Amino acid sequence: MSLWKLALLIALFNVMTFGNGPVMIPLLQTHLVEGAHVLTEDQLLYAFTIARVTPGQANFYVASIGYMLYGMPGAIVTTLAIILPGYIMIPLLHGLEHLRESRWIKGFTKGLTVTSVGLILAAVVQIARGTLTQPIAWIILVATLVMTQLLKWNIVVALPVASCLGLLLKWLL
Amino acid sequence: MFSIFLRAGLAFGGGLGILAVLEEELVDKRRAVTKEEFLTIYGIGRIVPSGTMTALAVAYGYKFGGLPGTVIALAALSLPVFVLTIALTIAYHYLRNSRLFDLLPVTIIPAALALIVVAALKLGKDVFRPSRELILAGVAFALALFLRLNPALILLAGGVVGAFAWQKVEEESGSKPKESGK
Repeated sequence: MSLWKLALLIALFNVMTFGNGPVMIPLLQTHLVEGAHVLTEDQLLYAFTIARVTPGQANFYVASIGYMLYGMPGAIVTTLAIILPGYIMIPLLHGLEHLRESRWIKGFTKGLTVTSVGLILAAVVQIARGTLTQPIAWIILVATLVMTQLLKWNIVVALPVASCLGLLLKWLL
Repeated sequence: MFSIFLRAGLAFGGGLGILAVLEEELVDKRRAVTKEEFLTIYGIGRIVPSGTMTALAVAYGYKFGGLPGTVIALAALSLPVFVLTIALTIAYHYLRNSRLFDLLPVTIIPAALALIVVAALKLGKDVFRPSRELILAGVAFALALFLRLNPALILLAGGVVGAFAWQKVEEESGSKPKESGK
């Protein structure tokens, strides 16, 4: 896959998902991990983790993927691919804002969001088959869910705690 | 402009974190934008296919500085996340050549998978109850997992279904913006 094809794919996925970071995961998984085999599941998950622990826009983890595949030029090109569609904002500001009130667009984005929930969970199952090969990994997955969902811990806290738990279990068992 | 958006770019918590900083700086402190205008621009930004916060940087950059303004605002907003992302990716390359790499599958990797589940749950707040939403999400799940259809196609089809199914969606997030900047 050439850098330009990668940029084109990412630009397309970003536009389709309205720049939503998590929703891009199933698309990237299908095309880059399973389809073209240029990225491993671990690399995709690592990139996504970066998005969760950094400030700023949450779809910028594509820069990490760009860097993994093509170094700095890859990071810059993929970033531009997700930023440039933002310029659609300018014509919208000039009087096309009634689009926002369009019920078609509201319904479309709602359908997109709902569908993406199913797609993300399907991608999770697929990725889990490939990456959760040790029992400890399942424990860490559940532990992270408990920490973030039930105990309402911040991700920046939950991630290191979960990682330390993994190390501890690995060391004990 | 640069310093406002740099501060916004340093805000944690994705879209909502950034939004809070922008509102404080532009509406409360500087009174450069009225509250109403701020909400309108946010509403338009949500339908721009680039990520809402990127769209806001373009909007305010353009409003206060024309095209050069957009470049300044975008650069400032994106600088912190870009630099950190690259730094952490470089860390991954070093990790790859060390013994620590073998520990990733029992630490960060399963935790990251959990974070994806969390993201899906957050998006699907109104999905997980008996509803048309649950059916659409369930069909998408099955088509992707069992029939291995291309998720991009499923996503577009879901959008079209939604455009017909939710014509009369009540605006449930008028004053309370959802986390679509994520």
